[in-house]
Amino acid sequence: MKILVPVKRVVDYNVKVRVKADGSGVDLSGVKMSMNPFDEIALEEAVRLKEKGLATEVVAVSAGVGQARDTLRTALAMGADRAILVETSTDVNDDLEPLAVAKILAKLVETEKPDLVLMGKQAIDNDMNATGQMLAALLGWGQATFASQVDIKDGAATVTREVDGGLQTIRVNLPAVVTADLRLNEPRYVSLPNIMKAKKKPLEEKKISDIGVDITPRLQVVRTVEPAQRSAGVKVGSVDELIEKLKNQAGVI
Amino acid sequence: MFLNEVQEQVLETTRSFVDAVIRPAAEALDREERFPSEIYDQMAELGLFGIGVPEELGGPGFDTLTYAVVMEELSRGYASIADQCGLVELISTLLVRHGTESQRKILPEILSMRRKVAYCITEPEAGTDVSGIRTTAERDGNGWVLNGGKIWIHNAPVADTGFVLARTNKDAGNRGMSIFIVDLHAQGVDRGPKEHKMGQRASQVGGLDFQDVRLGPDALLGEEGRGFHMMMSVLDKGRVGIASLAVGIAQAGLEAAVDYAGTRKQFGKHISEFQGVQWLLADMAKDIEAARLLVYSAASKIDRGLDATRSCSMAKCFAGDMAVARTADAVQVFGGSGYIRGFEVERLYRDAKITQIYEGTNQIQRMIIARELLRKGARS
Ligand SMILES: Cc1cc2nc3c(=O)[nH]c(=O)nc-3n(C[C@H](O)[C@H](O)[C@H](O)COP(=O)(O)OP(=O)(O)OC[C@H]3O[C@@H](n4cnc5c(N)ncnc54)[C@H](O)[C@@H]3O)c2cc1C
Ligand SMILES: Cc1cc2nc3c(=O)[nH]c(=O)nc-3n(C[C@H](O)[C@H](O)[C@H](O)COP(=O)(O)OP(=O)(O)OC[C@H]3O[C@@H](n4cnc5c(N)ncnc54)[C@H](O)[C@@H]3O)c2cc1C
Repeated sequence: MKILVPVKRVVDYNVKVRVKADGSGVDLSGVKMSMNPFDEIALEEAVRLKEKGLATEVVAVSAGVGQARDTLRTALAMGADRAILVETSTDVNDDLEPLAVAKILAKLVETEKPDLVLMGKQAIDNDMNATGQMLAALLGWGQATFASQVDIKDGAATVTREVDGGLQTIRVNLPAVVTADLRLNEPRYVSLPNIMKAKKKPLEEKKISDIGVDITPRLQVVRTVEPAQRSAGVKVGSVDELIEKLKNQAGVI
Repeated sequence: MFLNEVQEQVLETTRSFVDAVIRPAAEALDREERFPSEIYDQMAELGLFGIGVPEELGGPGFDTLTYAVVMEELSRGYASIADQCGLVELISTLLVRHGTESQRKILPEILSMRRKVAYCITEPEAGTDVSGIRTTAERDGNGWVLNGGKIWIHNAPVADTGFVLARTNKDAGNRGMSIFIVDLHAQGVDRGPKEHKMGQRASQVGGLDFQDVRLGPDALLGEEGRGFHMMMSVLDKGRVGIASLAVGIAQAGLEAAVDYAGTRKQFGKHISEFQGVQWLLADMAKDIEAARLLVYSAASKIDRGLDATRSCSMAKCFAGDMAVARTADAVQVFGGSGYIRGFEVERLYRDAKITQIYEGTNQIQRMIIARELLRKGARS
């Protein structure tokens, strides 16, 4: 079984993001970037499937600016066998829309012929939560989103999904698209020997023009604003005072 | 800026491990003076021991600059843990450079921390002046017999294998010392009690006593009579390691101080708004950065095969002095809290002091810098 794992380079989750003065988006200059945490989880799952002997090859792929090479190196150090970069732009401010990414991935699926695309449920920068679903639709494959457990057997994936009411278990025939939720696993730390080994693993670079996919944006960002500042809390002296404040000030009881 | 892509990756992975596992554990380890085997096991799995050991010998094969980066990060979490990494690095460097094929067979055990090591030089009469050692190894058949004692040896209470400097020729001065690989569970080896120290209290430090300890022919590391020189040959790297360790301690202090200054209020304002506090923070930050750059420069010189002695001594001396002064500033920013056990900066201040003493005291580093200046000229 071959697994394709798309990984996105996003603002590191520890960074306190700032909105650009003109409201056109988030300021990315000099900001630390890392692999999208949900993609890390997806990759970890793929590597575990390989370690269990259920997968034969794990291919990491990223679309975006050339700097995504670093993200792919991390993926290789985590255990991917090889990596593919699709360079779509040289401007770090250009963001690919989910449909564009799904189309690029669909093209790669044609040539790579994976049995499973295991990916993050969403990227923490734009929180779109759409690429996996769109990819499944474009390919005509089954999909299992928000996975918190994945079992592969007899050409099918049994996937436990985290849904609003609790957990739902479904079975999808392979090939399929599975998207990882937070509790699927805890990704490993990259080890130093594996960082060294990753240097020797193949990283193939393609240009978007080689792929022949139209990535013209269809969405227009109207405005980006900082979330409202949280105002400071108050300390109360007694239960009575708390009840009084909840009643009269907050109006919640 | 000074690190390549791979070094950045090593920094990243070490940093996230340190923040998640080491830094939160440091306070309890200091209080309990406990050897953290569970953390060492995880570090071994990540390949954080024996960073310079070549791939064909089972290590990751990184350069000195990468080692420095790792040491700073580990120490930012907890200096005792960085010092264990430094100790393993030193011993494994000695084995890689001077060990026979059969002696190197213990490398995988050392790197996985299944075999704990100790570097045994210091004696009651021989601290800075190593030539004063009285421990002797006398020929006995095709092996040796070891007699004497060592003090303040890191890992002595827990170690399996000691790398022991002993005199093999009474009349040959620095050319009369040799290093032996000694099984510390052997008959005739006695361990003194664990010392209770000012700082780096999770490091287990104590004495070793050798009485007619029989050593086989394979116990001698490298050539007989070359012990002192082998020891000197790893000093440069050792000093880079301790300099990085000092930078890491100070960096932890800076991070704590910046956070605290932004939350602590007096006179109705965050204390970070007072210039008196701002200047403390600014001085801390600039000196830490200066020390880090000295470390990077010294490490890069080693990696390029240049004469690094002066740079390594400058880095070790400056970083050690800086760490003591700037962790004192961190305590100052915390006010009374900084003086109370349980606050990180209180521990950092204690942990910093030894960086001016071990791996060559800072007076000795100044002696070396001056000697190099007067011998080779003022330009480096
Ligand atoms: C926590 C800890 C861990 C240690 N771990 C190890 C270990 O693992 N292995 C090991 O072998 N040793 C270890 N040591 C010992 C350490 O290396 C020595 O303490 C150090 O070398 C200094 O020697 P000393 O303590 O005998 O001081 P001394 O040599 O007695 O020095 C006392 C003072 O005199 C100064 N001085 C000495 N000579 C000169 C001179 N010529 N010019 C100017 N000033 C001078 C020194 O700088 C110092 O300020 C450890 C020590 C400690 C405290
Ligand atoms: C061992 C010990 C014993 C003590 N004993 C007593 C005792 O018996 N009785 C008692 O009442 N108290 C006692 N204290 C409390 C001690 O007096 C306070 O810790 C001290 O006044 C500092 O206050 P703080 O700790 O709240 O620091 P903070 O006031 O929070 O100060 C933090 C930092 O901000 C700086 N800072 C604050 N304001 C300014 C400003 N406007 N401009 C520039 N810098 C500023 C301070 O200099 C300090 O560096 C004791 C404390 C200790 C640690």
